[in-house]
Amino acid sequence: MSSANGFISVDTLSRRDAVRRIAMALTAAGLGHGIDPASAAQVHEEIEGERTLRGEYTVKYFNEHEFRTLERLSELIVPADEGGPSGRDAGAPEFIDLLSSQNSELSGIFSGGILWLDNASEERHGSRFAEASEQDQTALLDALVEAERHETADDTNWDTREYRRFEVFGVKSASDARRGVNFFVWARRMVVDAYYTSPQGIKDLGFLGNASHTEYDVPQEAIDYAFDRSPFRDA
Amino acid sequence: MADSSYDVVVVGAGAGGGTMARVLAEKGVKVALLEAGPTIDPQKEFKTHKWPHDYGHRGAERGGKAYFGTGSAFGFFTTASGGWQLDGEPYTSAPGTRFDWFRSRVVGGRTNHYGRMSFRFSDIDLKPYSRDGIGWDWPISYEDIAPWYDRAEEYIGVTGTVEGIRSAPDGKFHEPPRPKVHELLIREAGKQLGVPFIANRRAVITRSINGRQACHYCGQCGRGCLTESNYSASQVDVFPAMKTGNVTLLTEAMAREVEVDANGLARGVVYIDKHARAEKRVLGRAVVLSASSCETARLMLNSRSKPFPDGIANGSGLVGRYLMDTVGFSLRGTLPALENLPRYDTDGFGGAHLYAPWWLWDEHAKLDFPRGYHIELGGGFGMPGLGGFGRQARTAGYGKELKRMIREQYGCSIGLAGRGEMIPNNQSYMDLDPDVVDRWGIPVPRFHFSFSDYEWKQARHMERTFRDLIEAAGGKVLGIGNAARESEGIAVPGSIIHEVGTARMGSSPRSSVLNEYCQAHEVRNLFVADGSTFVSNPDKNPTLTINALSWRTAEYLAEELRKGNV
Repeated sequence: MSSANGFISVDTLSRRDAVRRIAMALTAAGLGHGIDPASAAQVHEEIEGERTLRGEYTVKYFNEHEFRTLERLSELIVPADEGGPSGRDAGAPEFIDLLSSQNSELSGIFSGGILWLDNASEERHGSRFAEASEQDQTALLDALVEAERHETADDTNWDTREYRRFEVFGVKSASDARRGVNFFVWARRMVVDAYYTSPQGIKDLGFLGNASHTEYDVPQEAIDYAFDRSPFRDA
Repeated sequence: MADSSYDVVVVGAGAGGGTMARVLAEKGVKVALLEAGPTIDPQKEFKTHKWPHDYGHRGAERGGKAYFGTGSAFGFFTTASGGWQLDGEPYTSAPGTRFDWFRSRVVGGRTNHYGRMSFRFSDIDLKPYSRDGIGWDWPISYEDIAPWYDRAEEYIGVTGTVEGIRSAPDGKFHEPPRPKVHELLIREAGKQLGVPFIANRRAVITRSINGRQACHYCGQCGRGCLTESNYSASQVDVFPAMKTGNVTLLTEAMAREVEVDANGLARGVVYIDKHARAEKRVLGRAVVLSASSCETARLMLNSRSKPFPDGIANGSGLVGRYLMDTVGFSLRGTLPALENLPRYDTDGFGGAHLYAPWWLWDEHAKLDFPRGYHIELGGGFGMPGLGGFGRQARTAGYGKELKRMIREQYGCSIGLAGRGEMIPNNQSYMDLDPDVVDRWGIPVPRFHFSFSDYEWKQARHMERTFRDLIEAAGGKVLGIGNAARESEGIAVPGSIIHEVGTARMGSSPRSSVLNEYCQAHEVRNLFVADGSTFVSNPDKNPTLTINALSWRTAEYLAEELRKGNV
């Protein structure tokens, strides 16, 4: 897809411009009367409060240490790579902070979870999570992932289950791990969501929609790619 | 204060009421249109073209409601304007049964957000009893309704291709968009299994008509369309109808009762003005109920009078009876052939570009269930949203592998959803709860519901077919859809939001509430224009047929008014 095909990348334009250009493109293409661009753009003036992107946000709920811990977790869960920046740079800590500032159940999950993580890190490495070495941090996260997989594989009663393998990582009991896993799953869910809903994450995925076309096209290259890899390659 | 008087009082501004008000108004009939909710302002309210990151909560809503299951129905971006539960307006289910009821209290009703699948009922669908001895025949034939489908399709705009399939009659179509890659794979799998996939029939215009712009393929129909490129009763019926000057729209007007005069004719509607919390009355020469199937039946049952002790026009005792929903079952799968697929825009026209009409309509003798279903398709590179990558995150754990896996598998998930015909039965109906009223003092519906073996066996056929399709395309089944899981293999009754059949048409006043023009047998100036009129619930989403029947009833009513018969 390119602009030659009538494609407008909304992502590079302001909302007002995007709607105006869509209306103009459609009108110019002779497809009937246009929506009133000014009134259409007015919709897009309305932004629901503050955006949770890096550099556009003031922390509301977490203290400095908690926020630093969230930043570190966001870098570990979604690290920067060749496809895009980290969850931290996509505003994941800001996203979690905004919602936590509005919901005590959520803030409890994160404050309590960070305390659990610090406690587990202290016991094992003698320092809080954010101050531990990268190797020690990932060792603890690996333990939580392992515990989560154990849970998924053997979905029986948590309280009586034995976590022999976690002893290696300094997690002493099933209930210990469970609190950590619950927190980790929440953190991962929200960091992943924040990253992939950010402009950087959308670019990383290569999402090309939310656009306007006068014709809908499906590139032959994509069809051939899929059919060559399918049971119908000889069809 | 004198009560206002009109030619016709229409209750409910959705697909049925919108069509009714527009057709009447164009003929110069003065209409009062009652809507239990507010009006809608597309320019202000629709979230067309917004990104999640335009909002601090990214779509999770304040305090992350979506994460706790308390967010808007169908997500923050959908313009649903309603929900499964409404504050102060409860409904109940009899012990041991469950029925979920979705209500949109707003001008346009559920057509503001609906899926816009638009399929004609076939000759087979309208005469099911004659064919297999189960259920009841409609009092009209396909030839009776076909001209009204033509008009409805030409006015609202429906895509499709001429196929000549008896179970899926052709219509007046707009050109459909090209199939997407995952749809081509499923179509190929279908060819091997004898399941035909054809161009989808959706209420979207792909050429400009009536001052509405052709679709621009942003894929966001569910959010409401700023360019009016899809059908919604608000933008396509109600607002144009109001421009005639013949429609008075009364919003926040919750109808309580249809009043009758000494001759047993409807004289008007008593409603609660929600702002004033006061009862008001609007009079008319005729009354049309189009409040949605269960609200219409509720209103009729609540309209008790000396001539009608069991509810207006309910001498048959059938008001509220034979409630049906669509049989729903879905399977999700993943197609490895799509891993790392070259990116392209899969938004399209806001729904699948292909679907499979019921293909075994002539082979029921060999099947263990009597009625069919169609297959809807999901998949593609959807706009990234909350919870989109939970499976990859769990599998990869965290870190660079998580990002790699998400990149690789983005767009690989597909969904197949079956939408099947339910046979009307004695155990499925609604009456009034004897103990509960809503905040307006109006007795509320109580649901009773039961699927039979017919539906269960049909759902098992869906399950086998979907698994075969996914596997034939080289894919893997991931699991059953959310709606299905709750009752282990069939969607929760009501959850497909195709509830119909509570005031059915028929030729005899003993076995039906309405005649073939959706006119009450017992009250000649009372009409119904919504899904409650349905005699059966074919595997065709009901809205297009509501449009067509409402149009037909409106023309009949206008003529009866002109002749002075009403």
